[in-house]
Amino acid sequence: MAKVKSIIDEAAQIQLATELIRLDARLQVLESETQLSRERLLKLYKELKHKSPPKGMLPFSTDWFMTWQPNIHSSLFVNIYQTLIKSTDIEDIEAIIKAYRMYLEQIAQLGLPEVLSLTRAWRLVKFFDAGMLTTTECKDCEGRFVVHTYELVKDYVCGLCHMPSRAGKTRQSAADRFFNEEASVEA
Amino acid sequence: MKSTRLLDEIRETNLSYLLLAQQLIREDRAEATFRLGISEEVADLIDQLTTAQVLRIASSNMLMCRFRFDDEVVWNLLTSHTKDRSVSGMHAAIIMSGKAINTTA
Repeated sequence: MAKVKSIIDEAAQIQLATELIRLDARLQVLESETQLSRERLLKLYKELKHKSPPKGMLPFSTDWFMTWQPNIHSSLFVNIYQTLIKSTDIEDIEAIIKAYRMYLEQIAQLGLPEVLSLTRAWRLVKFFDAGMLTTTECKDCEGRFVVHTYELVKDYVCGLCHMPSRAGKTRQSAADRFFNEEASVEA
Repeated sequence: MKSTRLLDEIRETNLSYLLLAQQLIREDRAEATFRLGISEEVADLIDQLTTAQVLRIASSNMLMCRFRFDDEVVWNLLTSHTKDRSVSGMHAAIIMSGKAINTTA
């Protein structure tokens, strides 16, 4: 990527990186969304978090977004994100940050755990951009839910209209498990 | 003729609605379009209103805000007492955030 020339540009990028780090974004997200050097990003990360960023690859599978609880959380985020993209002309990364904040607000109000991390949310948008994931309408509630692009079914019913029998029963442990999964990828 | 008390209440609701809308728009215009369910054009209009104009608009026998969701599913989810509140609330949130697109597109 081109090096940042203007100081004002650089300030804006540092601002963006700071916001992303505060929301617990992984280093890969920062490298992809800003033109700051890896060294500068590392320094910024350590300054804000007082520790080194987690190493290792990002979770790369689309399957995670299909499991019951992540699917619901991702669908809420995507609905907010797409509304912002359609109704305003802000940059994608700005829309991701704003949509993610509003997602966090909503689940906090409902007393639900943070299942979707900012890094996952960012990944989700990339999967949409790449045409691997999309949303489809539930035939019962007309809400829009995340699905695989090539698995579009005609009479799709969402996981909330048709709840799997064990869904929600182990909500907390499920949330822990998903976070651990992500942590083990980081390790 | 409606009683003056009700007309006063309509004016007060209009006033707080318009002031809240202006505050939301000025704080974050993009977020405000989602929260209020309005287009950027309408957001610009509301943003530019002077205090005198806000007061004049508020003094009406009609409310300036309306119900955004006329969907029975949403109302059932929001009022349901039988299901897990957080699950039905999440379901309603997904449907509502998706419908915001239709009103702002």
